Amino acid sequence: MLEQLDFVEEKLIRVGAEAEVKTVLWKGMKLVMKNRTPKRYRNDFIDTRVRRNRTIHEAKVLTYLSENGVPVPLLFFIDLQQSIIFMQFIRGMELRNASNPTEHSEQLGKVVGVMHSLNVAHGDLTLSNIIVNDAKGLWLVDFGLSVFNAELEDKAVDLHLLERSAQSTFPSTASVFFKGFLRGYEDVLGVQTVERTLAKMKSIRMRGRYVVKP
Amino acid sequence: MRKYVVLGIESTAHTFGVGIATSEGEILANVLKIYKPKRGGIHPREASQSHAETAPSAVMEAFEQSGLSAHEVDAVAFSQGPGMGPCLRVGATVARTLALTLRKPLIAVNHGVAHIEVGKLATGCSDPVVLYVAGGNTLITSLVEKRYRILGETLDIAAGNCLDSFGITVGIGPMPGPERLAAQGANLHELPYKVKGMDVSFSGLLTAAENLVASAVPVPDVCLSLTETVYSMLTEVVERAVAMTAKNEVLLVGGLARSNRLRQMLQTMCDDRGCTLHMVPDEYAGDNGAMIAWTGCLQYSCGMFIDVGESHVKPRMRIDEVEACWSS
Repeated sequence: MLEQLDFVEEKLIRVGAEAEVKTVLWKGMKLVMKNRTPKRYRNDFIDTRVRRNRTIHEAKVLTYLSENGVPVPLLFFIDLQQSIIFMQFIRGMELRNASNPTEHSEQLGKVVGVMHSLNVAHGDLTLSNIIVNDAKGLWLVDFGLSVFNAELEDKAVDLHLLERSAQSTFPSTASVFFKGFLRGYEDVLGVQTVERTLAKMKSIRMRGRYVVKP
Repeated sequence: MRKYVVLGIESTAHTFGVGIATSEGEILANVLKIYKPKRGGIHPREASQSHAETAPSAVMEAFEQSGLSAHEVDAVAFSQGPGMGPCLRVGATVARTLALTLRKPLIAVNHGVAHIEVGKLATGCSDPVVLYVAGGNTLITSLVEKRYRILGETLDIAAGNCLDSFGITVGIGPMPGPERLAAQGANLHELPYKVKGMDVSFSGLLTAAENLVASAVPVPDVCLSLTETVYSMLTEVVERAVAMTAKNEVLLVGGLARSNRLRQMLQTMCDDRGCTLHMVPDEYAGDNGAMIAWTGCLQYSCGMFIDVGESHVKPRMRIDEVEACWSS
């Protein structure tokens, strides 16, 4: 079915441990193609199922969040034969590269707050997975590690990863950034939830394990 | 610096091991006494009693093997944890006794760190992503700022524990029983594949495999499905860790490092990613005293000793508690 649609591959924008991300043109529109490529080390039977299940999971999360007002790329098509997701291309830059990341922090807090209120955790909430534009637009991308029915622990890990990511990218303004984030987060979830989440985050840090790529 | 010699004692689980190593990386002795339960898994108390019985002869054999006399040893190291409390205490007691009698310093070694360091010594790799898989431990780790950081680990039971328990339950014995029988398997069945980020979970997988056997699926088929699923999950998390840390070496250590199929999968992954796979040789894969002795040498080099009065065992010790002061 999908091969009848005219896709023109443009360029490779990301290679992760499990997927290749490319931009493609479809009817003159730019889309993102996320392809979970086969792994030769895995038996075909297992490999096919794993890639397929994850593709379905990511598509479900994207759809659920879009429908509930969280800014994520819109889902266009999924190709379950090949485990490919086609989604909206977001014009903007990674928050990591923004000229003044702190001006987006409160908005980010609100967006993550809404996502957490829906009991979805991102699972890899680093600055590379947040896209912003000059008009103060903000989107979350890459839900490959996301979880439905997220528990406090999963949400706290999101906050932890975000703060660590900020500290390693712009150490001098990271604390201002995170304060701004918490203002927006608290606006949505209330002060009690914020305190509980921060307490959990501390206990996760005591375990000293979640390491962020520098 | 002058050459020094450390005697190391391992007793975390079924193995009572005594090794002797030098600061130049020579292994002068490696004596193993393995407790084999008559049936079922390891019973901690019975294992510890067996260790207590074999300990004196193991120590004597190690001295004979090395050709050294007791006074030529510069320090005594022991496995402080993680492991089974009663077993750990036997090794610690023997080590304290030796240290006090010989008037030599005592060194407390983390069992997991020792598995990794002996793997590095034997393979010559320098800064790998490490997969440490055994009957009691499953973790993915790498040295970052002088500590083995846990990048991923099992959220419940160890990979080896999953395979051992399955083998014992269906009557084919622990590993390598399930992997051997898997060679006769013809059909794969879908089992829960639980990878969460860089963490893995095996307990649901074990239950599902046992349920397959209960519903009359041939045991070799279940063995095949189980081993393929477990090893795929492990290889995947290692690949994630390699992608994240951007390191180009992988080191496989621990008892399960003897698995041919796991080695094969990791090799394929490394070939595709352009990294190098190093595997600990069989003699240092399972628990052994040589790895404790060698890690003792490393700790000796930066004066990481412990007072006898504070040398209590830590059954739940974590690998990232240890500062790897010897690492550059």
